[in-house]
Amino acid sequence: MRETIEETAHARTLALDVPGWPGHRAGQHLDVRLTAEDGYQAERSYSIASAPELDAVELTVELVDDGEVSPYLIEEVIPGDVIEVRGPVGGHFTWSVDDGRVLLIGGGSGLVPLMAMLRHRAARASTVEARLLASARSEPDALYRREIETLRPQEGLAVDWTYTRATPAGWKGFARRVDAEMLAAVGPGPSAGARVFVCGPTPFVESVSDLLVDAGYDPASIHAERFGPTGG
Amino acid sequence: MTDDCLDGNGMAGLLAEATGAELTSAIRHCQSCGNEYAIGNHRAYRGAGVVLRCPGCAALAATIVERDDELLIAWHGVLRVPRPAAA
Repeated sequence: MRETIEETAHARTLALDVPGWPGHRAGQHLDVRLTAEDGYQAERSYSIASAPELDAVELTVELVDDGEVSPYLIEEVIPGDVIEVRGPVGGHFTWSVDDGRVLLIGGGSGLVPLMAMLRHRAARASTVEARLLASARSEPDALYRREIETLRPQEGLAVDWTYTRATPAGWKGFARRVDAEMLAAVGPGPSAGARVFVCGPTPFVESVSDLLVDAGYDPASIHAERFGPTGG
Repeated sequence: MTDDCLDGNGMAGLLAEATGAELTSAIRHCQSCGNEYAIGNHRAYRGAGVVLRCPGCAALAATIVERDDELLIAWHGVLRVPRPAAA
């Protein structure tokens, strides 16, 4: 553990130095295994938040009340601690700038792997078309909001937030759950041939995936990843 | 709100350790509905082991049980696994 970064009231980023790290692709996972003194083990699979171009491996962990692993990672771990990890793993939910235009739709902590993709795109100074639709309960709950605002002026990048519970004063953006009208407004539309990545809680992913298919997106172009209640 | 992966993508490490292959991008032809989905896109349920279900029809796709020195994996349907050279 190199350092920790507070992201929101419920989420923390852990920056890890992993000896012998072979490099990863944006969207891949890292498995974290904790072993108690009595030998009991708990393992969780977390999306990597950092760009492959960064020299540290960053995870952003959201606190799960009564969880087995996340309270430890959020409240207990300090720089210098050693954590057992396995990875990088996964290949389905990955994207690089060489794959072409992309539509990213994230709900809550589902933004984490999408952030790795945007950071990768920024690190490569790519202008490949990328659209991000990020859903959060409110502005204080929105992960990476300040960093995303600094990325916003990049050529080829479009960013939309939607806040589902509370909006900042004077907010003119979306303020509801993702629906067909919102997807049509965000684009790029099913004929653009974009790869689509949807990540968030299971109901969010199922709902957005169905809306995309109904709108005419090719199911094979939609990559889904679900975060859900596993005891975190 | 929870924070770790709850679908086939989250099984990538387990499957890679057991088989040596990256299986989340492998396509499974469902024995029940006949649709094809990537393993990463399957729903995952954790209990004593892991159960993967088809995202289209919820039919049983795989059960994975971890033991001390081995994994027990039951597959249903047909898996299309890209050869590394074709990946």
